[in-house]
Amino acid sequence: MNQFKNILKMDLVNLFTNPMWIFYTTAFPYILALIFGFLAKDSYSSTVTSYDFYGITTMIYSALNAATLAANSFMEKDIKGPNMRLIYAPVPSFIIHFSKVIATVIFTTVCYTAVMLLLHLTVNVNYGGSNAIYLWLLMVLVELFSAAFSVMLCCVLKTEEAVNQIISFFITIMALLGGVFFPMDGLGKTVAAVSNLSPLQWIATTAFQIIYDRNFNLLLPSCFILIVLSIICILLSKKLFRTEDFI
Amino acid sequence: MEPILSIQNLEKSYKNKKVIKDISFDVKKGEILCILGPNGAGKSTTINILTGALDYEHGLIQSEKENVHDHIRTFKNRLGIVPQDIALYEELSAEQNINFFASLYGLKGRNLKKQCDAALAFAGLSDRRKDKVKTYSGGMKRRLNIACAIAHQPEILIMDEPTVGIDPQSRNHILDSIKKLRSQGMTIIYTTHYMEEVEEISTRIMIMDDGRIIAGGTKEELKEHVNEEKLYHIDVDQTERLNEQEFYHIEGIKHVNISKSYVELSALKSVENLDRIIAVFIQNQTKINSISCEATSLETVFLRLTGKSLRD
Repeated sequence: MNQFKNILKMDLVNLFTNPMWIFYTTAFPYILALIFGFLAKDSYSSTVTSYDFYGITTMIYSALNAATLAANSFMEKDIKGPNMRLIYAPVPSFIIHFSKVIATVIFTTVCYTAVMLLLHLTVNVNYGGSNAIYLWLLMVLVELFSAAFSVMLCCVLKTEEAVNQIISFFITIMALLGGVFFPMDGLGKTVAAVSNLSPLQWIATTAFQIIYDRNFNLLLPSCFILIVLSIICILLSKKLFRTEDFI
Repeated sequence: MEPILSIQNLEKSYKNKKVIKDISFDVKKGEILCILGPNGAGKSTTINILTGALDYEHGLIQSEKENVHDHIRTFKNRLGIVPQDIALYEELSAEQNINFFASLYGLKGRNLKKQCDAALAFAGLSDRRKDKVKTYSGGMKRRLNIACAIAHQPEILIMDEPTVGIDPQSRNHILDSIKKLRSQGMTIIYTTHYMEEVEEISTRIMIMDDGRIIAGGTKEELKEHVNEEKLYHIDVDQTERLNEQEFYHIEGIKHVNISKSYVELSALKSVENLDRIIAVFIQNQTKINSISCEATSLETVFLRLTGKSLRD
């Protein structure tokens, strides 16, 4: 347990001392939400403003991007060397990759919570008032799944570059289908049906139902699926992780 | 001396290609065992197997009569590893790096601080302890790389080419440190392809090539292998017209190495054949710039045993 705490602490130090990653998880989603909100402000009503819409979709999109951070904290060139020492140390190999998942979730949760607060304070994004905690929980679980999936992919593909290329491609497709950049409903029934294939779409739907309808029907199944998928990814990582890929 | 580590019939393959071919050797307590070999000889693979980082298909590694892979975490506690690449957190200070890596071996509190101070002093970095590693020179990083491996006071220190790409001053510091560690009772396994380092620090040498151990022993024992030979080094203007076989026809020639601008010939000491060697150059219209005849060195031993120069 002590070893896990030490490694987790070091992973967090690595994440919190990297200015690029701080920018990517704070300024980037904030600016993205502001730009989309500003550009689409005439297309939304005063009940649900464009900032309300993009304040949610951008944050869910960012939560999925936790996958990129997890891949970086696991296999980035400068980190891979010191990580090699962990393999030589008397440390169970499971905690080497598991700590990256947990560190990424803690890091992104801190940063994204700050962004959500900032969006609420500056452009009054509605996160559901007292129900915001459920939205926050949903975000944390999306981050957990993204990080766990990414680390599992690292164990399979063995390079950060390959993982990032694949993840970036899929996140962009899911973001487009999930209506992060523009709603898909106006593009016809077929496109709307295809849009439902994106997990981002059903997470966004869950979020909007919590905020505007106080409807929690989708929350429990969503959380359950995300937790189960995360556990599967973590277990698969344990099975697939081979120390010699680090040497 | 009793063996602290015993390796028997070790074999390892990558993608159906055998890279370690049935090697067996002992590491004796308190010795500096230098594993010498050119790039790709299998040195790093061998030591990565010893550290438990790489699996192997066949063989047995024993310490104190126990299979180390049955108690791998206990065994890892007894090891200190200096990897070939610098393995440090660049954004952290030397002190933070040592503290973190030593803590993984169970050190904490006052003991951790004490060992961290000792490791920093050992590496000559006490006055730069708070500076970020990214501000260090290549030599300082190499020294810190070693300090991180010894802070928990391992019984066995495994060093994989720890002096690659550093200045002579840092190299001397590292070699002196290794001798000091040995005097404190540490057993050291040291891989390198620098012959002069082996000459300076080794108590025993193991020469590897193409995944095999081709010779082993003390410096003196290895030199004895080729004691009956001498080495001619002949600088020439070009070697295009020369053919190895012509030299092998000369009585007493044991080995020929033709490079771009020089020829090296191992020859029996007892046979006088210099006139016939020179005749080959004259016949092939190759101008000789200089000839020297050297006594047996480890380089000669290596050349004789592997048929190639260490830095090839």
